[in-house]
Amino acid sequence: MALRTEELILNMGPQHPSTHGVLRLIVTLDGENITEVHPDIGYLHSSVEKMLEHRTFAQGIALTDRGMDYLTALANEEVYILAVERLAGIEVPERARYIRTILLELQRIASHLLWLGTFGIDLGAFTAFLWCMRERERVMDLFEAVTGGRLHHVYFRIGGVYEDLPEGWTDRVLEFCDYFLQRLPEYDELLTGNPIFKVRTQGVGVLPREVAIAMGASGPVGRASGVAYDVRKADPYEVYDRVEFDIPVYTEGDCYARYLVRMEEMRQSVRIIRQCIAQLPGGSIRARVPLSLRPPKGEVYVHTESPRGDLGIYMVSDGSEKPYRVKIRAPSFSNLYALTEMMRGWKVADVIAILGSVDIVLSDVDR
Amino acid sequence: MQGIIQWATQAVIGLVVGLRSTWRTLLEPKITVLYPLQRVNVSPRWHGLLALPIDPETGNDRCIICFQCERICPDRCIHIEAEGKGKERYLTRFDIEIDKCCYCGLCVEVCPTEAIVFVPHYETSTYNRARLLYSLSDLHQAAPKEPIARGVVGGVRG
Repeated sequence: MALRTEELILNMGPQHPSTHGVLRLIVTLDGENITEVHPDIGYLHSSVEKMLEHRTFAQGIALTDRGMDYLTALANEEVYILAVERLAGIEVPERARYIRTILLELQRIASHLLWLGTFGIDLGAFTAFLWCMRERERVMDLFEAVTGGRLHHVYFRIGGVYEDLPEGWTDRVLEFCDYFLQRLPEYDELLTGNPIFKVRTQGVGVLPREVAIAMGASGPVGRASGVAYDVRKADPYEVYDRVEFDIPVYTEGDCYARYLVRMEEMRQSVRIIRQCIAQLPGGSIRARVPLSLRPPKGEVYVHTESPRGDLGIYMVSDGSEKPYRVKIRAPSFSNLYALTEMMRGWKVADVIAILGSVDIVLSDVDR
Repeated sequence: MQGIIQWATQAVIGLVVGLRSTWRTLLEPKITVLYPLQRVNVSPRWHGLLALPIDPETGNDRCIICFQCERICPDRCIHIEAEGKGKERYLTRFDIEIDKCCYCGLCVEVCPTEAIVFVPHYETSTYNRARLLYSLSDLHQAAPKEPIARGVVGGVRG
């Protein structure tokens, strides 16, 4: 006679130290095996979409910084101003577009570094966290010198950027690029070649290619599952069509592949930054745009490649100085729901590894 | 059994390789600072406290009471009131609710006379919430005493 067992429902979060942000996972367990995962979101809802309807187009920039993904503030500003610029048909000066691209790639490095550090902590590698913070601090200093802010910049403007780059800044960036490429092999020593790290990640939380597409997973999560899709290549914005870079694609779809994709993306970002600085033209940094901009009636959908994936914004203008409707397509939201497929059948201890590898920011999920 | 031994040796080698990096970093110069004792210099563009600097020529601030900063503020934390007419107009109230302020810098950007500027000061926390309402005299005091060079605090506009 078989032993009668019952399924156990376990609540992880919203205040669990190893969930990233305020995420509540309702995990149904059969012994130690996961049969079902149900993410419960909404703890960080900031209603940024509704608030944007009550701000003028210029004021909205300050809101996208913190209302959306707070770790990639510049990527949020970028997608917002791109939408407004396409709506109003504004031509952006060349120099501003290059400056934006450099800053966006620095933002990608900063975001991936923070992810790498927290992923290390999730798996018990504490040293990597401190080292990532050390490198990220230098990126933050570069941001601070240009924008005046470390996390919330409000630097991009409709039709350009606020101020020109300070003197000697590009040299500092190049110096950082050299330093960063020297440091990256240390992470390979710590994590990539570490057998313990490999056992925790290789083959864990596999997301097949078809499921990734069906779930709308994008960014590093999609590319680790063999979806060779990057908005920077598929629908280039700013100057991404003028620089050479590769998009790393792996077909394994496990945590280790997601780790490798992000590590390679940081190297590619350095490549993009170097090319942009070499091509950086002079001239104006901002087109003449009235402060109370009134774009013509119409609607627009713009998407960009934020460090977490395909970040889109749908904006409707009714001809007034405020947007009529703004809808944000957040990459973390789709990636979070891919979790339910990734986690099925794995053990409780793997929840943390899989959750860490997806790199979600709850502010982006809830908006 | 052989597989386990092989894996265990690999794990030990992995640990040794990782620890080698850790020890090497231990001997490098320290990058941390002891915060209250040591301070990090912030960039000249730092979005710190807002201030209304005194113009040494006139002995008053440069505000022309155009209400542009009040209007652009996304958080509506600037409150301006004025009395008098024409050139005789003077400020009776210039309050910034610094607890609402999101340090976006839009007010600094729109100001036509660079009357409102950022100062590189970042320690504004207090135990009393009432002290986060900055009045006109607070904003005068927050400004640096020496004249501000253009582009250092106010920023150069393109």
